[in-house]
Amino acid sequence: MSQINRIKGGLIDRSQSLDFTFNGKTMQGHAGDTLASALLANGQVLVGRSFKYHRPRGIFTAGSEEPNALVQLRTGAAQEPNTRATVAELFDGLAATSQNHRGPLGFDMMAVTDLLSPFLSAGFYYKTFMWPKAFWEKLYEPAIRHSAGLGRLSMQEDPDTYDKGFLHCDLLVIGAGPSGLVAALAAARSGARVILADEDFAPGGRLNAETLEVDGMAGADWAAQTVAELASMDNVRLMTRTTIYGAYDHGIYGALERRTDHLPGAGGKPRQILWRIYSKRAVLAAGAIERPIAFGNNDRPGIMLAGAVRTYVNRYGVTPGQRVAVLTNNDDGWRTAADLAAKGVEVRAIIDTRDAPAVCDVPGARHVRGAGVVDTSGRSALKRITLTDGQMIDVDCLAVSGGWNPAVHLTCHQRGRPVWNDDISAFVPGRDLPQGMVVAGAANGQLTLAAALAEGREAANAQVKDLGFTASRKAAPKAEDEAYEGAPKWHIASGKTRAWVDLQNDVTVKDIKQSHQEGFRSVEHLKRYTTTGMATDQGKTSNIPAMAIMAECSGKSIPETGTTIFRPPYTPIPIGALAGRARGTDFRPYRLTPSHEWAKANGATFIEVGNWLRAQWFVKGSEAGWRDSVDREVLNTRQSVGICDVTTLGKIDVQGKDAAEFLNKVYANGFAKLAVGRVRYGIMLREDGICYEDGTTARMGENHFVMTTTTANAVLVFRRMEFARQCLWPDMDVHLISTTDAWAQFAVAGPNARKLLSKIVDDTQDMSNEGFPFMACGEITVCGGTPARLFRISFSGELAYEIAVPARYGNSMIEALVKAGEEFDAAPYGLEALGVMRIEKGHAAGNELDGRITAHNLGMGRMVSSKKDCIGKTLSERPEMNREDAEKMVGFRPVDRSQKLIAGSHFINKGDEANMANDQGWMTSVAYSPSLEHSIGLGFIKSGDTRMGEIVRAVSPVHNIEMEVEIVSAHFIDPEGERLRA
Amino acid sequence: MIIDHPLLGPRDAAEFIYLGDAALIDRPDWQDEDAADKFYEYGYLRDNIAGKMQELWYHEQGDRSWLVVTRDTLTHEITDVEMARNVARARGRSK
Amino acid sequence: MPDFTLISAPPLAGYDRSFGDIQLIAPTDLAIVSIALPLGGEDAAKKAIKTAFGIALPEVGMSNVAKDKTSSIMRLAVDQAFVLFPSATPDAEPQIAAKLKGAAYTTDQTDGWCALQISGPGARRALERICPVDLHPNAFAVNAVARTVMEHMGAIVARTGEDTFLLLSASSSAKSFLHAVEVSAQNAT
Repeated sequence: MSQINRIKGGLIDRSQSLDFTFNGKTMQGHAGDTLASALLANGQVLVGRSFKYHRPRGIFTAGSEEPNALVQLRTGAAQEPNTRATVAELFDGLAATSQNHRGPLGFDMMAVTDLLSPFLSAGFYYKTFMWPKAFWEKLYEPAIRHSAGLGRLSMQEDPDTYDKGFLHCDLLVIGAGPSGLVAALAAARSGARVILADEDFAPGGRLNAETLEVDGMAGADWAAQTVAELASMDNVRLMTRTTIYGAYDHGIYGALERRTDHLPGAGGKPRQILWRIYSKRAVLAAGAIERPIAFGNNDRPGIMLAGAVRTYVNRYGVTPGQRVAVLTNNDDGWRTAADLAAKGVEVRAIIDTRDAPAVCDVPGARHVRGAGVVDTSGRSALKRITLTDGQMIDVDCLAVSGGWNPAVHLTCHQRGRPVWNDDISAFVPGRDLPQGMVVAGAANGQLTLAAALAEGREAANAQVKDLGFTASRKAAPKAEDEAYEGAPKWHIASGKTRAWVDLQNDVTVKDIKQSHQEGFRSVEHLKRYTTTGMATDQGKTSNIPAMAIMAECSGKSIPETGTTIFRPPYTPIPIGALAGRARGTDFRPYRLTPSHEWAKANGATFIEVGNWLRAQWFVKGSEAGWRDSVDREVLNTRQSVGICDVTTLGKIDVQGKDAAEFLNKVYANGFAKLAVGRVRYGIMLREDGICYEDGTTARMGENHFVMTTTTANAVLVFRRMEFARQCLWPDMDVHLISTTDAWAQFAVAGPNARKLLSKIVDDTQDMSNEGFPFMACGEITVCGGTPARLFRISFSGELAYEIAVPARYGNSMIEALVKAGEEFDAAPYGLEALGVMRIEKGHAAGNELDGRITAHNLGMGRMVSSKKDCIGKTLSERPEMNREDAEKMVGFRPVDRSQKLIAGSHFINKGDEANMANDQGWMTSVAYSPSLEHSIGLGFIKSGDTRMGEIVRAVSPVHNIEMEVEIVSAHFIDPEGERLRA
Repeated sequence: MIIDHPLLGPRDAAEFIYLGDAALIDRPDWQDEDAADKFYEYGYLRDNIAGKMQELWYHEQGDRSWLVVTRDTLTHEITDVEMARNVARARGRSK
Repeated sequence: MPDFTLISAPPLAGYDRSFGDIQLIAPTDLAIVSIALPLGGEDAAKKAIKTAFGIALPEVGMSNVAKDKTSSIMRLAVDQAFVLFPSATPDAEPQIAAKLKGAAYTTDQTDGWCALQISGPGARRALERICPVDLHPNAFAVNAVARTVMEHMGAIVARTGEDTFLLLSASSSAKSFLHAVEVSAQNAT
């Protein structure tokens, strides 16, 4: 098949021929073609099957509003379903296939559904597949899913990359048609920073599709000249292939730029970029979208919107048919006939629903006044139309114009409602526009070229003046006010023949009437019941006709029937573009501890803790499972010495004359009297009295404290402390800065910790128990002068220190520690061993501080000072939170020591039924204690502190397991704390 | 949304953390006779207005300042942005 | 005397790479010390800064190069500024504290941050992929500073030249930050 429908003219580059395939058949087009124009040039009228009835369908529009011509583009992993052929730019090697049919496109086995259509009316699925309920999941849904749906995913990973970005401008001009071009130029000449975006690859809008003149030259030439001028200006960013898909708060717009979709390959660059555009002002010049007229069998391939026919003829040099008729209710439709005739295409008839004289002279065309089309024939392509008076005309293309709807979509994204304009029988933008937006041209209901140009200029000038720029005095270019009058006609009575309103969702006039009869009176209900206006085109050609037919049913006017507003996105956005770079390991940033490289080289298994990667355990020798490593690490630490990177704990530098007093406010216990050179453990409450955080704070100087927070709460604690210092006690001299990443901090724990550290710490520091006792801190030097901080604190319960060096030395520091510890068999330990040891020692952690726990529950009620105010103090004193029989944190061990405790188990007294009424508490943390050689647990149980030795049942209905456990002290190891003071 | 920071100019709301009613500045005195009731109201009975409201926003990905933003919760229109520290002082908070 | 020596290994040490018209370099030995202005002692602190560096404390969102060109001060908040200067030794904070003679609170931030300098005609083109702040020459003057977020990571961007920007981000996520900037540079060339 050659390009049998290619005619002269157009904006294509005939010197560049491009090969492409459709359903495997090789065809040719030219640079500047869309897939749709190239298919039409090749006489390929049938391009797909409809969603529900599998009716043969052709190309209906020439833009992003296309409901029918959805194809799969490309092959393999790059295959993309539901691509509109009307906006897919042709490139050499493009491979497209049609969708939604079984067997060949010309003989779709699913077309049998069309014969069943009397049964498949509105609400069919809702009514039919209700019962029996059990059939839904196994039978109905899979069958429906298989027969419905449009394209198919490749089910492979998307090989393309996507990016995001941020742009800023004084004025965003949305749409590069006549009013948009004038607006951009006017604003640019004033010196404002302008972004001009258009979804098309060729700016110009309708100027490229019409034969109208601007300033005495062809409209397309004027557009090209204007674009060239804009492109030469530094303050203009011209963005073609860019859809402004959403209008958000305060002048923010979402834009999708298609960078490489028009190329055979992306060349390693992002295929698409999702931009967030910050605009001070915007001019919406999105144009208008033509609407169809519904009549019998109006969905056959070859039936097309009249404006689209002009686009193919004038812009692409393609005629959609050889024998054409025009059906119109307005003057604009006549221009299609005139343009076709001017190109030598046979126009057989102009059927005007108005009983009015001819608008212009179209050689060879019959003018049928006050008539309509009631039926058509031709199985896979239009062959004949039947008029209201019964006469039949053989045509292969019918151009339909039902008037134009301003593209008001973006005006609605901030809940703005369009208003009805009787002059053009269409909705135009209402007054509640998104902040900073004005609308110009056809989008504002100005349907003539001269008016669009004038309004584009005025809109831009007003906007830039508002921003303090001096508007350009240059007049708008000159053009004619072409004829556009029309009389509304939404559908033509066609007896029992089906007349389509929504081609994409196969919704007919009858469906709308029926849903009205069934009581769906609101436009929103109509939409959901019939599905009209849904899917990829979002009803761009069908919403208003559907509403008009509904208005007819109810005997109301269209504005009385309601308006439908639009949500983002204007056209579909690929999920890949929304994801951007956030895929795989780039899903989120990760934080590495200073000793990460060393840990990686020394058998560490890592676990994500927030954004941190922490060593979970270190595999040594022949250790087969994680327990082997963790048990060894625990025993090694308790028997000799272990080393753990604890850098992830939050560190906050607190300085100021009021720092001590400030800490008194944010910690429940007192800090004001903490001596310089000492560390104290503290708990923090929320204002409602719940304990949410614990940690230690060291006093490095009179006005200088170093706070440690839990890893998980580092950001939250900082935020709340900033709140306290700025909003609650604004006159306190206190300053906060995070130093979490600045210091590499290592716990060195175990009986040999002091001996090990003495080899690292410079001699100037007295490391004796008297010289540096439990809870001491100090600024010291290590390894011959490197500054460091030493804290004698212990999470493990052993003689332990935490030593911090500037992070740049972190990796070297752990090497030094391990080397210095060789004689003691010092070994690193990971997060799991840390967890085991803190359970053995009875320290609360995240599992315990779950947002419901008070200091009273933790057995730390007396820590909440009664002598001073602190955040959470007053509400923590509520009686209900201080009951005698409140759950208290204690330890648990299985009566049968071989049993494994289960976290989340609930405690039930012996003899009681296991139900919520008898609930005594719950188990929060469990571990196998290699020191005790059995399972141990922490948990909360009513009056736990007075029930030592009692046996209760730990019940886990989830696991269907229960066991007897003994209530014991939470301090399984060294309850007197002798080791850590050693 | 965009918050026009009094010192830094317009910044994307994505840089901020939202807290809620600016009445949270007015923390009761713990030594008041009816401190318990007042803290109860402070903690639990805050307003959630459909309309113009003073809210606390924290510029976490910025200068770490707490701001009092006057925002219409129906339209998102922001009519005033102040440093919360100044607001707190104006409301009589000190040490 | 201990037998061990610690070796300095900052996360991006030695990084230097070009992407078309975009150059990315990790500055070596860039020391950072934060200054907090005491409440009520702001004037004294400002005076001490003037004495120590020969320049006034910049406005919030601006930076300034010290009179002797050996350091620069960026003002990040009402009561907070960073001093940046070359220093290979881990004593940056005492150096600044000595200069300010107790008129302000100082904290060593050197190891808390990683630094990348991005320069060249394409620098803005790369940064617009990750930086929400407007870096247009008219909106972001030479010496302007902004603390913001890039690819979920807190970051400071400072314009240090016509087409040169200094980026700071947390040192623990230095690799992710470098990756984000590299991908931006790659994508924008």
